[in-house]
Amino acid sequence: MGGASVVGRTTVTVQVNGQERRLELDSRVTLLDMLREHLELTGTKKGCDQGACGACTVLLDGRRVVSCLTLAAQCDGREVTTIEGLAPGGELHPLQEAFIRHDGFQCGFCTAGQIMSAVALLAEERAGSDAEIREFMSGNLCRCGAYPNIVAAIREIAQQGGGMP
Amino acid sequence: MTAPSPNKIVGEPVDRIDGQLKVTGGAHYPSDVGYPDMAHAVLVQSTIASGTIRAIDTADALAAPGVFAVITHENVPELVHEVMTPFGPSPRFPLKDNRIVHHGQHVAVVVAETLEEARAASRLVRVEYDETAAILDIDDPRAQVTTNPYEMDVERGDVEKALASADIVYDERFHTAPVTNNPLGPFAAVARWDDGRLLIHSSTQWPVMERHVLAGIFSLDESAVQVLVPYLGGGFGAGLRTWPHTVLTALAARILDRPVKLVVPRPQMFTSVGHRPETVQHLRIGATSDGRLVAIDHEGTSTTGAEESNLEPITVVTREAYDCPNLATHDRLVALNIPNPGAMRAPGHAEGSFALESAMDELSHRLGIDPLELRLRNFAEVNPQTRLPWSSNALRECYRVGAERFGWHHRNAEPGSLRDGEWLIGHGMAAVSYSWWATPCRATLSLGRDGGARLRAAATDIGTGTYTIAAQIVAELLGLEVDQVHVEIGDSALPLAPPSGGSGLAVAFGGAIEDAAAHLVRAFLDLVRDDDRSPLRGRDPDEVIATNGRLQLSDDPGVGESYTAILERHGKDELSAEGETDPTPKAEGMTMSPAGAFAAQFAEVRVHEELGLLKVTRLVAAVDAGRVLNEKTARSQVAGGMVMAIGMTQFEETAFDPATGRITNATFGDYLIPVSADIPDLDVVFVGEPDRYNPMGIKGIGEVGITCAPAAIANAVYHATGKRIRSLPITIEELL
Repeated sequence: MGGASVVGRTTVTVQVNGQERRLELDSRVTLLDMLREHLELTGTKKGCDQGACGACTVLLDGRRVVSCLTLAAQCDGREVTTIEGLAPGGELHPLQEAFIRHDGFQCGFCTAGQIMSAVALLAEERAGSDAEIREFMSGNLCRCGAYPNIVAAIREIAQQGGGMP
Repeated sequence: MTAPSPNKIVGEPVDRIDGQLKVTGGAHYPSDVGYPDMAHAVLVQSTIASGTIRAIDTADALAAPGVFAVITHENVPELVHEVMTPFGPSPRFPLKDNRIVHHGQHVAVVVAETLEEARAASRLVRVEYDETAAILDIDDPRAQVTTNPYEMDVERGDVEKALASADIVYDERFHTAPVTNNPLGPFAAVARWDDGRLLIHSSTQWPVMERHVLAGIFSLDESAVQVLVPYLGGGFGAGLRTWPHTVLTALAARILDRPVKLVVPRPQMFTSVGHRPETVQHLRIGATSDGRLVAIDHEGTSTTGAEESNLEPITVVTREAYDCPNLATHDRLVALNIPNPGAMRAPGHAEGSFALESAMDELSHRLGIDPLELRLRNFAEVNPQTRLPWSSNALRECYRVGAERFGWHHRNAEPGSLRDGEWLIGHGMAAVSYSWWATPCRATLSLGRDGGARLRAAATDIGTGTYTIAAQIVAELLGLEVDQVHVEIGDSALPLAPPSGGSGLAVAFGGAIEDAAAHLVRAFLDLVRDDDRSPLRGRDPDEVIATNGRLQLSDDPGVGESYTAILERHGKDELSAEGETDPTPKAEGMTMSPAGAFAAQFAEVRVHEELGLLKVTRLVAAVDAGRVLNEKTARSQVAGGMVMAIGMTQFEETAFDPATGRITNATFGDYLIPVSADIPDLDVVFVGEPDRYNPMGIKGIGEVGITCAPAAIANAVYHATGKRIRSLPITIEELL
């Protein structure tokens, strides 16, 4: 064991993908690191840890947030949905299927963030046109350059009525 | 050889077989790996660009909660520092002594129980420096210059004489800014030692090379090192070297005797895993008044790190581009106190083709000849350097099809002639060839009682689609469905394979799979050679075809049997076969010139007259990719290169502070890569035929997408505005 920390510790009770999780954490732990390092939910990615790339996007009480700029302590009593919670029974969300069909990724590292962001985008009713999709998905970087395919995937689901659960 | 396959799977736009894992968060990248007793490491980097460490005080860091160790040059164990690779010696080991050669050089690694503890303690390491004057400018006369650094310089004919007699002489200089790969996945290493053996999960595009370098550095037999990378969050060349952070992670794990994880934070990604260096180029071109090129002289200079090597062949693209009898290309390398550059998607070629293809456009305007027509007049019917016929070349078709789709011939050629309100509209084009590079490849292919195949090789899928195209090739050659093929890659313990890099993996891997499949079919026929109960008894491979999970006579399809029937009858669980290929062109005896991909790209831009805003509104790429293995992933790969080209042309510049050598924009908030709103719909179309050199007809396409777009866009900017921009990125100031 390492030495006892001089920094504070905090107890967090949070609903993650519909399951209540209770954790005692170093108070510096971000929501992103809580998911990845403490709950082994590594589907959510750390691309920059500075809130600039969107790879860590999750839903917090239904709204998209960058989990790297959200402290775990802020999530006490709240609901978090990650990519792992989008297809709970193994049946893919329509957006997940559309991303596969339209090849909306290459390396796949930004994909969880893109899809979570797109889920929120549809709920926000901001997918009315390609220009709107492009604008409101611009917080999610993709270095492989899959943007046109991502737009196509979101457009298709938006036109089908949003794929809302 | 088996008879030609009746199955049509290769080329089809099959969905990625790893797609389900990637959209559910189930694909595991090196930064996702964890072990129960794993420690976390954080790098401390230098805050000067040149000098020595006078003192390094780690006492406070060591006393901080959770800290296990702080490794510096003072306590680092003896290691081997240089291991040779195809890209030159492994990068300089930063802790080998107390010298600092660039800003952001690793000076310590702090290892603690948790990431938070390691990060907090890393800020407690205090370093005192004796600073010396840094050399940071590519024109600094004190900088060490290497001429002909790659021994790729070429001379043919008599350039000076031809320039003296040319009707027109073009003479201009170009500049391209340093840019940074920035794969979205931060590079990571998770190392553990077990009984003197090193297991490392690592962000590499070349597991076999990483194993070789780590074995060398730690004085181990290669069999004692295993490198795992089933998925990689992009690389774009950054994963072609074994970088010091990987070595330090393995070292920390050895010292602590527990697994250690190090994830390179985004700002340190700018200093730790390479970048595309700055270039300056000088191009002189002589032509006749009717547009025949008579001479080209291309000089390209790039920067490298002090005490480092880098392969950035800028002018290679020029020697085979056009039918020009007199040509000289020269590269130069200037060593500065900057982080070591490295490969970034089409290293050298992306910069060199920007200069060459901008120059061709400029020449066409000076001559009053359409830019496309000028290129056609100088089309290289044979490889102009070797004079050997191309193994394939559909560049003319690229021009024709691309121009048609774009509507090139309808444009008014006069600069500034098109506008929509306050927006000036311009059209530009450029073309290129990008040859592939690969090392020998092996693969093991087996087929089991369940009727499924298993393919194994130490190849990687960095987002290119390797898993999927490999499964398609196996399925087609063995007559199976794609979902009956299990592909195992990303592990150095598997049969050796070249990197995902140099646009060569598909060429080499495809060849090895083809060879393995042929051997496997032969193995099945050998098994039934004397089998009275087999309808295939005594048959040769060239008499049979593989389809629907069975082998049957090509001229009598009813005669045959399934793989599983053969295995069951002979009491075998599976049959296995090895395949190999050496795609490297031979030095002598070649009857053709192995061609890479060819492409022509056409760009439409809008430039705001008052504000200087630049928008790329259309980009069309017509690509001769040889045999396309998967139309969906191939299109994505080329489009991805075009997106990166838009970044290089419009936004990206790694900004070094000229006084300190510090990178001043080392975040995604400051270093701008394209976002969705920057990218128009991209039109990618494939033309041409399977290549003759490679058994599968493959030509790599990982890099051709980025190579001609920058010039096409810059040429469109000229057509829109009349402003010729010879430096990248093109900034608003230049367009005002």
